[in-house]
Amino acid sequence: MFAVPRNRTGKPSGRDAADLATSHLGRALTVRGRLDSDGEVHIHGNVLGRISADSIVLGATCTVIGDMVARQIRVLGRFSGRIFALDVTFDASAQVEGKVFHHKVTVARGAHIDGRMPWRPLNYFDSLEQLPETQP
Amino acid sequence: MTIFQRPEKPNESDSNAKSVAREASNNPESAESKRTQGNYAQPVAPVASVANPQNTSNPRGAPMTSVISKALKITGQLESSEDIQIDGQIDGDVRGVFVKVGSNAKVKGTVYGDQVELAGTVEGKIEAKKVVLAATAHMSGDVVHQDIRIESGAFIDGHCKPDFGKTDAKSAAPKPASVVRTAAE
Repeated sequence: MFAVPRNRTGKPSGRDAADLATSHLGRALTVRGRLDSDGEVHIHGNVLGRISADSIVLGATCTVIGDMVARQIRVLGRFSGRIFALDVTFDASAQVEGKVFHHKVTVARGAHIDGRMPWRPLNYFDSLEQLPETQP
Repeated sequence: MTIFQRPEKPNESDSNAKSVAREASNNPESAESKRTQGNYAQPVAPVASVANPQNTSNPRGAPMTSVISKALKITGQLESSEDIQIDGQIDGDVRGVFVKVGSNAKVKGTVYGDQVELAGTVEGKIEAKKVVLAATAHMSGDVVHQDIRIESGAFIDGHCKPDFGKTDAKSAAPKPASVVRTAAE
């Protein structure tokens, strides 16, 4: 699903194209439900539910509960649930609870992380069409 | 705890307050109970501003409008006390102050707001004080409003009811000035 060669070759790499595919969920926004995107999603508000996107950034003010599936994830805020991503970055302000299935992970000094961070090979993320319902 | 604190102090001993704040945030019991953003942000602030330029510039540069890009599809409800701009697809209800539905956007559900500007497609309902249907709008469902503007070319399949606010909606409907009283309700 999120294989390395999967990139946005069809889209021009200009700033406009990048902005069009980037969603911003502001601090005051609360979403209950599911978010699916081919592009980038920045979340500064509250989300309860599943998020899947190419790239996800959880801003410092966010509170996200649920599962996240992406090629690349960066966390600066609060998250509780499961992460499935090739490349995961936790900044110092991150507060994370749950499981982080990753291929590469970066944890900044000061991040609060409570949970397991299982490593998975690349092909695990290729075949990640639907999430395991029970926690493996 | 204090033993582990010690080596940090010489490195970052700019102020006592900073190290005290750091200690508080490192203590899991006390920090857990009242970990508000303001409390938490103090010791981390220099790190966060360097590490996250787009986050700090976003709240100040632009008012915190939420943008649902055309690449995003949301199934569920959205609620905001600020503005929302939708260019993607939403299956569910949307609540905002100023809600703008872009020309390629599609919403299945009810759109609530003080002001709703529709240039895309809504299948469901619009409930807003002021409603603007642009020429490219495609509205299947009822519009509950106080003040409506429909541009030539807009598609509407449904009722337009000047019932927003219920009691004195009819007298308020013809006045365009009614938009100003957004907070009165």
